[in-house]
Amino acid sequence: MSQYLIVFAQAHEEFRLPELLSVAELHHFDLAVPDDLDVTRPFAVFTLDKEEHARLLARRCILIKSVYEFYARGTTYEELHQQNKAARPKWEKYTPDTSFKFVVNGYNQSIPKARQREVIENFSYMDFLGKIDLKTPEVTMGCFEEYRDTVGNTRHKHEGDGNFREAFFGRLLEEGTARSLIKKFDVKKRLYFGNTSMEAEISLLMANQTLASPGKVIYDPFVGTGSMAYTTAHFGALVFGSDIDGRQMRGKGGISNISDKLLDSVLTDAEQRPGIMRAAAQYGVEQRVIDLCTFDVTQNPWRCGEMFDAIITDPPYGVRAGAKRLGRKKERGMPAVPSQPRPDDQPYIPPTKPYELADLAADLVVLARYLLKPGGRLVFFLPTVTDEYREVDINTMLCGGMEVIANSLQDFGAWGRRLVTIRKTTCESFPPPTFESHAEEGEVEGAHIPAHKDFRGKYFQGFKKEFGTPVEAERTQDGG
Amino acid sequence: MVRLITHNLLACHVKRCTTNNFPLQLKDVQLALREAEFNADFLRGFMPRLEWTALVQAACQVGDDSLPLEAPEMVDDEFLKNLHHVLLEIHIEEGAMVCPNCQHVYPISNGIPNMLLAENEIG
Repeated sequence: MSQYLIVFAQAHEEFRLPELLSVAELHHFDLAVPDDLDVTRPFAVFTLDKEEHARLLARRCILIKSVYEFYARGTTYEELHQQNKAARPKWEKYTPDTSFKFVVNGYNQSIPKARQREVIENFSYMDFLGKIDLKTPEVTMGCFEEYRDTVGNTRHKHEGDGNFREAFFGRLLEEGTARSLIKKFDVKKRLYFGNTSMEAEISLLMANQTLASPGKVIYDPFVGTGSMAYTTAHFGALVFGSDIDGRQMRGKGGISNISDKLLDSVLTDAEQRPGIMRAAAQYGVEQRVIDLCTFDVTQNPWRCGEMFDAIITDPPYGVRAGAKRLGRKKERGMPAVPSQPRPDDQPYIPPTKPYELADLAADLVVLARYLLKPGGRLVFFLPTVTDEYREVDINTMLCGGMEVIANSLQDFGAWGRRLVTIRKTTCESFPPPTFESHAEEGEVEGAHIPAHKDFRGKYFQGFKKEFGTPVEAERTQDGG
Repeated sequence: MVRLITHNLLACHVKRCTTNNFPLQLKDVQLALREAEFNADFLRGFMPRLEWTALVQAACQVGDDSLPLEAPEMVDDEFLKNLHHVLLEIHIEEGAMVCPNCQHVYPISNGIPNMLLAENEIG
C-alpha cells in the first residue's frame, strides 16, 4: 500500500473520477476514493495496493498528466517539509548516488525562476548526493504549488507568490502517456471526418468509459463518421457501427452510384473505400472495425441480444445532425405505398421522420439492455439545458436492470452535454424492444419532463425561458 | 466487410417476416480476404452467440469448408484458427443478401450492407 499523487490535465473536471474508476475496473483493481476528494482540484492523492496500479492508470487515463509517488503535502512549506522528513524511508534510497532533478510547478500561477530555486534549496535537507541531470535523471522530484483561481482579478508580478492553497511533493513515477493519443486522433489530421465528428479527447474518454480492450465487442448505433470507433478499436476492441444514413459512413470517396461512374474511374480502390475505413486504416485499426451497416436502429436486423460488451454513441440531438427514424411524419397522413421497382441502381431512400431526443434516449437504454451482455456498459452523450437540468432527468430514461454509474457534464454555458455511463446490472434476458411511440406516456400528469426533452426546439430558440428574460446567448462549441 | 460474423448476426426484419427469415442468402458475392488479429478468448466467448449451421453453410457458399458440421464441445487451436478465418477474414465486398422468406434484397455496396426497410415494410 502506497500513496500516489495524481496530477490531472486541466480539463473536463467531472470526467476525472469516472475515468479513474473505469480504468481501475478494466485492470481489476480497487481504487478507494479519498473522502476529501475534490475533483475540481487538479491534484489528488490516492492509496493503491501496488505501484503497478498507479502505472496502469498513467498509461490509460486520458486526463492524467503524471503520477508521482506521494511524499508530502501542506498548506505551508513548514507542514510539507515536516511530512517529507517523516517520509524519509520512501526516498532515502535515492540519496547516495542517484542522478536527479527537481521541478517546481504552479497551478493557476507561474512561479518565477528565482522562487523555484528557493523552493528547491529548501529541500536540501534531503541530501541528494547523486549528480544533477536535467535531461535524463534517474529520479525526478516534483513540487507543485496549487493556487486559487484568480481569473478576473489582475495580479501584480509576484503578487501572492507563496500564498498557495496547498503544495504537494513526490517522486515522478510515470508521465501520463495516454494523453498523447489526443494528438494522434486529432480530427483535423484525420483522413475522414464530418461536421458531427467528436473531438479526439472526448472520444478517448468515452472509449475508456466502455472499458474497451482486446477481445471485446463494441457497437455504435449512430456511428456517423466513426469518431468513437477509432478510439475504442485503438484500445483493442472489435467494433460494429450502424447509421440510418450510409453517406455519413461512406463519405464522398466511397459513393458508387451511376452519376459517379466517372469519378470512380479516377479513384483508386483505396480511395473508394468507405470514409470510416480509410480513417481506421490511418490509425492502424482497420481490421478491428468488423462491419458498418446502414439501418435505422429502431428497425434493426440484429438476430439476437446479449452480444456486445459495450454500446458507445453520440446520438443525433437534432441540431447539426437531424435525429431521424424510418416512417413518415404523422401530419402528412400519406398512406403507405408499396415501394416502386427502382428504375436504375440508385439506392432506395425511404422516408424518415424526426426522432425526439427524450424518446431516443429512453429507447437507447432499452435497446442497450437487450443488446448488452450482463455487466456491459452503455456510454453516450445527452445534451441538456443547463438551467433546467435536474438530477432526476437521467432517471426518466432508465429501465429496470440498468444503473447509472457515471454522469459527467461538459459545460458549454447555456447548454451542456452529459456523458452518461450506464451498466447493465441484470442477468435476465429481454425481448427485442419495440420502439413504440412515446407520445402518450410523456403527457401523464405530474410526470417529470427532463430538460433534454425537445432539446432541438430549445437550442434554436437560444434557450430562452418561457417567461422572463432570455438566457444570455452563448456561443456553442459543438452542436452534434 | 460484411464478414461472416456479421452475416450470422443479421436477420430479415421486415414487418411480419418472423419465420424462416434467417440466414439471409448470399447472392452474386464478390469476396476479399484480409488478415485479422487472432484472439482465442474472443472466439470462445462469442461461440454461444453463433448460429452454427448457418455459419457452416455460409462458409461453404464462399468456398471454405474448414468448419465441422456441428459445433465441437471441445475446441482446439486448429479449430479456433479455422473459426477465426471464417468469422473475420472473409469479406463480402459486393453482392446482396436475400431473405429466404419474403425475398427482400439487402444490397451490399463497397462492403456496406443496406439494411434499410421500405415504408411498407415497417411496423
